[in-house]
Amino acid sequence: MTILYALTGAGIIGCAIFMILSRNLVRMLLGLSLLATGTNLLLFLAGRIGSEQPPIIRDGAKALGVSADPVAQALILTAIVIGFALTVMLGVLVLRAWRSGGTVDAREVDAAEMVGPAQERDDLHG
Amino acid sequence: MFVILLISLIGACVMPLAARVIGRGAGLVIALLPIGLLAAFVSMAPVVERGWVLGEGRNWAPRIGLDLTLRLDGFSFLFCLLVTGICALVVIYAGGYLTGKPRQERTRFFTLILLFQTAMLGTVLAESLLVMLLFWEATSILSFLLVGFDSRSARARRAALMALQVTAFGGLMLLAAVLMIGHVLGSYSMAEAVRQAETIAASPLGTPIVACILIAAFTKSAQFPFHFWLPNAMQAPTPASAYLHSATMVKLGIYLLARFEPVFAATGWGRGVVVTVACLTMLVAALQALRAENFKSALAYSTIASLGILTLLVGLDGPAATVAMVGFLLAHALYKAALFFCAGVVLHATGQQNLRALGGLARVLPFTALACVGASLSMAGIPPFIGFISKEFLFEAQIESSWETAPLAIAVIVNAAMVGVAGVVTLRPFFLGGAKHRELRNGESLSLVAPPLLLAVAGLLISLDPDWITRVALRPAVAAVYGRAVDVDIAVWHGLTPMLMLSAVVIGIGALIVRYWRQIHIRLRGAERFDRLALEKLWERSLRGLMHGSRALTGWVQHGDLRRYLLVVVGGMAALIAWSVIAAGAVPRLPDAGTLRLAPALVALVGLGGAVAATRAQSLFTAMIATGLTGFSIALTFMLNGAPDLALTQFAVEALLVVLLTALLMAVPLASPATRTPAMRRSDAVVAGVMALMLVAGIVDMAAGPQGSAASAFYSEMSYLGGKGHNVVNVILVDFRAFDTLGETMVIAMAAVLARSLLMRRGRAAQEAAQPSVHFSFQAFGRVLSWTLLAASLVILWRGHDQPGGGFVGGLVAALSFALLSLAYGVERAERTLRAGPLTLVGIGMACTLASGLPGLIAGRPYLTHLWWEPVWFPKLGTTMIFDLGVYLVVLGAVLAFLFGLQREATK
Amino acid sequence: MTCMGDALLLTLPVLVPFLGAALALLLRKHPAAALMTGLAASGFVLLASVALLTRVMVDPRVPLTVFGGWPQGFGIGFSAALPGSALVVVTALILFAAAIYAIGDIGPRRRRGGYDALMLAMAGAMNGACLTNDLFNLYVWFELALLAALGLLTIDRRPAQIDGAIRYAAFAMLAATFILIGVGMIYGMTGTLDIRTAGAVLADSPASVASAVAAALLLGGLMLKSGLAPFHLWLPASYHTAPTTVAAVFAGLLTKMGFYALLLVMVVIFGVGRGAPGGAQLTPLLGGIAALTMLLCVAGALGQTDMRRILAYHVVAQVGYMMAALALGTRDGVTAAIFYMVHSMIVQANLFFGAGLIRRASASWDLTRAGGIVRREPLFALLFAVPVLSLSGIPPFSGFWAKLFVIRESLDADMAWLGGVALLAGLLTIVSMSTFWSDACWKDARRTSMRAVPKSGLVAMALLSAATVVIGLMPQWLWSIAQLSARLLEGQG
Repeated sequence: MTILYALTGAGIIGCAIFMILSRNLVRMLLGLSLLATGTNLLLFLAGRIGSEQPPIIRDGAKALGVSADPVAQALILTAIVIGFALTVMLGVLVLRAWRSGGTVDAREVDAAEMVGPAQERDDLHG
Repeated sequence: MFVILLISLIGACVMPLAARVIGRGAGLVIALLPIGLLAAFVSMAPVVERGWVLGEGRNWAPRIGLDLTLRLDGFSFLFCLLVTGICALVVIYAGGYLTGKPRQERTRFFTLILLFQTAMLGTVLAESLLVMLLFWEATSILSFLLVGFDSRSARARRAALMALQVTAFGGLMLLAAVLMIGHVLGSYSMAEAVRQAETIAASPLGTPIVACILIAAFTKSAQFPFHFWLPNAMQAPTPASAYLHSATMVKLGIYLLARFEPVFAATGWGRGVVVTVACLTMLVAALQALRAENFKSALAYSTIASLGILTLLVGLDGPAATVAMVGFLLAHALYKAALFFCAGVVLHATGQQNLRALGGLARVLPFTALACVGASLSMAGIPPFIGFISKEFLFEAQIESSWETAPLAIAVIVNAAMVGVAGVVTLRPFFLGGAKHRELRNGESLSLVAPPLLLAVAGLLISLDPDWITRVALRPAVAAVYGRAVDVDIAVWHGLTPMLMLSAVVIGIGALIVRYWRQIHIRLRGAERFDRLALEKLWERSLRGLMHGSRALTGWVQHGDLRRYLLVVVGGMAALIAWSVIAAGAVPRLPDAGTLRLAPALVALVGLGGAVAATRAQSLFTAMIATGLTGFSIALTFMLNGAPDLALTQFAVEALLVVLLTALLMAVPLASPATRTPAMRRSDAVVAGVMALMLVAGIVDMAAGPQGSAASAFYSEMSYLGGKGHNVVNVILVDFRAFDTLGETMVIAMAAVLARSLLMRRGRAAQEAAQPSVHFSFQAFGRVLSWTLLAASLVILWRGHDQPGGGFVGGLVAALSFALLSLAYGVERAERTLRAGPLTLVGIGMACTLASGLPGLIAGRPYLTHLWWEPVWFPKLGTTMIFDLGVYLVVLGAVLAFLFGLQREATK
Repeated sequence: MTCMGDALLLTLPVLVPFLGAALALLLRKHPAAALMTGLAASGFVLLASVALLTRVMVDPRVPLTVFGGWPQGFGIGFSAALPGSALVVVTALILFAAAIYAIGDIGPRRRRGGYDALMLAMAGAMNGACLTNDLFNLYVWFELALLAALGLLTIDRRPAQIDGAIRYAAFAMLAATFILIGVGMIYGMTGTLDIRTAGAVLADSPASVASAVAAALLLGGLMLKSGLAPFHLWLPASYHTAPTTVAAVFAGLLTKMGFYALLLVMVVIFGVGRGAPGGAQLTPLLGGIAALTMLLCVAGALGQTDMRRILAYHVVAQVGYMMAALALGTRDGVTAAIFYMVHSMIVQANLFFGAGLIRRASASWDLTRAGGIVRREPLFALLFAVPVLSLSGIPPFSGFWAKLFVIRESLDADMAWLGGVALLAGLLTIVSMSTFWSDACWKDARRTSMRAVPKSGLVAMALLSAATVVIGLMPQWLWSIAQLSARLLEGQG
């Protein structure tokens, strides 16, 4: 099971990287969202796959019995939420870029690299 | 000596303020500082005279190996006399020279000159090589500022940059040399370095050390091939040229060479290099001096030639060379400074410094002419001036040394050229050519003519009565450099010696040069080879090449294509992992195969399939759905492996992502034409695949390793007993590792601020968004559903401590309820229902979360120690609830900030 | 001092900025109130951090607090171990200077956009990263700093800012992923997230593929964060679009935070310099990375005329020097790296302040158009000379010592070639900065009418210039602190 999940997680990450390398910013955004998902699955393996029992103390018990690793779950929960915030934030940026430039092609969204007199720009790209 | 340096430094900052108040006489007042310093040094003469070395030390930073140690011996003493004495004259002179400048600029000039004096004194007094380096660099910077003093002039700026770049290069070499010496000897003491010269030369770093020292000295003293900065540095105001670029700073290279003579002499090749460079320098400079058109540049080239002679003398062995070096150092400082002063007066008076255009100035500038004659006679080596004596020593040293005759021949020629230059710069402007200048811009004044006259007279007096100066300065200086006392006998008449013959030859050739100067000059100017071969051009060209190369390199690296940037990152990362794994030489391990559970395996494969589908989707909408599919199947995977909290959160996140990204997709075109060529796609796929494989290897190997976490075990034990909660994950989030959650809450809050700032309506111009046209049944149903969701979110929040749930999920579900509302009734309506602005919710939530830790802190426990109140008649209450409520509010506010902003922006 | 005092002192550098951020968020409609909140919180943090450092220097026992009151190792702990507590002081100083500078630079429109809340959140994130003992917690602070940075970067909504932010975000999210997987793997191998415990566990276990992969992931991720070549490309593409105050804070803090984490992870967890399994195989790479960074980025600076881009390249080049010191793999090398880091933080921020004021006075970021400062604003020119000279490594300013230590330690570590590269980069830095000075301060500006620079800007620069001069004149202080830090990092406190 562990190997299967590792393959799945890494496979998702591979697909995500492939999408991130696209020049369409929305595609890149979706890739980054996928990247977070794949990462979370890999993180889950840090706590190992074993018990299917959730880490919830039964009524009446004082301590937790055999269960999945709670620490890894807490980390992933934090990571999910952070990944969500980052993805949406990037979405807002892409929307802004679209509104100001009318394009979501990364090659045309290049205002940041074009600073200084035109002469210099020609030098840089020519 | 510390006191002297300190006074010099403080004085340099304070005294020039006088120039703000006083007009013409400011120079005289300010000159009191260097005169006082000179007096202080003279009072130390009895100590130095006896051959004693005065040392002082302070702890500065012993752990760094840096002690502030100073040392006054004969050689330093000679430099100190020159530095302070000529500084006094320069300041007086500058008082008269800068009359036309605004007061602010004059103040700046005086400050720089006096600071430079301090730096010079520091350099020659330093015993610790690090301290010497400190002051050495300071002289370079001050020289830069003085050369570029007239900063509006592009030529001055260029000259300043050139001077700085060359001398800073030398400074870095000196830094390297000093550090290497420290590495070899374990000490930065100069005396130690001289004592252990053999050790240094024999160490593996010996060659680089000597090379670095030589380069440092050659750059500072303008030796070939670094000489080109000095003539350009004449853009500095004349007093600065006289002080820095002839009398003192450029002699620092000589100072360094003389100090380290034992070190480079200990290598087989050191002396040879020094003598060769000196000879080349002399030849080049002598020719250029005859070619020079300007008064100041003729002097500059003759200075380079003189520096070449000094370098030659340091390179030669034997005591006579040392005597000659010390004598010539003094003589040159006296006459060359005087000549620069004269050149300054001429420039000041006529605004003209082309030697061919000047003439007949003796009538209008009589005192200047007098001073110039005195100094030139000394420079030409005519008895009884001091220049004559030093030239005698020079020839004596060469005859006595073990070298062949080549340096001697060169020295004769160069000296003859110097005679020629001395004659030309005196005769042409002042005595020949008739009265060309009737109108003078400025006449002579006492402060302008007194300094050169004084120097010229000093040159005469010293040679007539050399006793005092020999006793207090020359003899100790020679002893300090040579290492033991040498009998120095200074007299104008030594009888008929070979040296006298050589002197006569030199003067004879020199006279011929003066006679035929015009012809020689024009012939030399016509030879364009000089301009072509000028190292200055080479330097400029290499600098320009450097700029061009840098620009091209940067353009190549920083090309602006985000895809290639990211490819470099992912590829680089994969390479890094590959290197690490291969270099570590570990063998991958495999975990126990375990049993394959069919349903979870299928779910995982569906997730992978979704990811693959997303890469292949033509439409962005399809890609988003496929991405969502992966997300949901991973959520299911969590569910199937005992992580209901994760599953809940992942579900909620995926649902919200779909809602939010749909708003984005509504705005942008859905069709995404290929932006990569098939070749690019292939290379991207390869890189992504390699990266994935690396990760698999690492993760599988990790999973095969031993398992067990002390923290996990502790949390399982203490969750209920210490944290009062059944849901261990939630207790970890709000209690054990609450600080992470706090940080994460801040992350979400900041994302909300960002979204708000980017999507906020700016100005009042925004129109009311139209209510969406949806089916009335959806509206009716939506309202009910949204209220149900809101209620559910509160339940999730409340029970989170014991059952799956908590602030995050609660907040996300509550946000979903508003998302429904805004879908059904439009953004405006949803915002009205919320009443408070989303960011206000975020702010309140942040405050709640942060405040929930304070009671613990107040109670004397660490921050975020949760307190509980457990009445029998009511469920237990704890500060964790405030914490979780804060998280809930922040998440709700943030998601709503995104939602409202995106929806409004998308429907525009 | 009591245990409780320690807990309070350790909490304040994070708590105060966050409370301030919450308050500034609620007050964002009132720019003046938000400004006061920012200024007061920054000033208070500066005082608290100085108190914390004093406490550390007076009493050798390292103060520690575990949030939630749990035993050490079972909660997230903050400890004031060096160099963290020293970095907190520097961070606080820079942020306080930035708050002063912002009075004249950040107008009501930007404050309504949430400037103060974002800046304070960033301050808290920095301090948290410097003080935390927990690996995952470190990751959280990085994300917070990233979000705040992106918010600050795009506060004017100009297309160049949006574009720069997208580039920055794409790089940073990749970096975050690498770091997160690395952290997860460390947890998977050692069962702990406490940095020192994890280091001890890893040191006792044999080298494995997992530890090699984790080391590479963390190194790569943190190299992205600190802008080391060839992963530096995002930085010159984004920094220059930010408002001056923000760019100054980025230059002073962001990359250094990345480098501090790199130092911590490489030295404490992977034992670079101790030859411990896991990270030792990476040491030979570090020197190459450092040399590449120094030369590539100085060349980048030489090829520009936009002041902000020149300085942005220098920011990265300076990280190269720190990496060079770390690459030596000796304790003194680590000391030199820490010394360099502190020096560079102050100087870089100050340079951006200066560039901002030059632009204020001459209405252009371009060196071919700016100019005339030395005649119009002599006081400013004097203040600006300090960071310029310091960056160029001219004595007696801090940069001289920093460069000297790097080269000296490279000799002692028998890696003289790296020292040679540092010298070459130093020469090119001098070429670049002297041209900068000549163009910006000496040459006449294209525009004849020049505006006066705001007083608040001068005060901020004076603060940082004074710090540079103090370090330059008394290098021993900082060197001792750095030495102690290096000892503590290597676990020999």
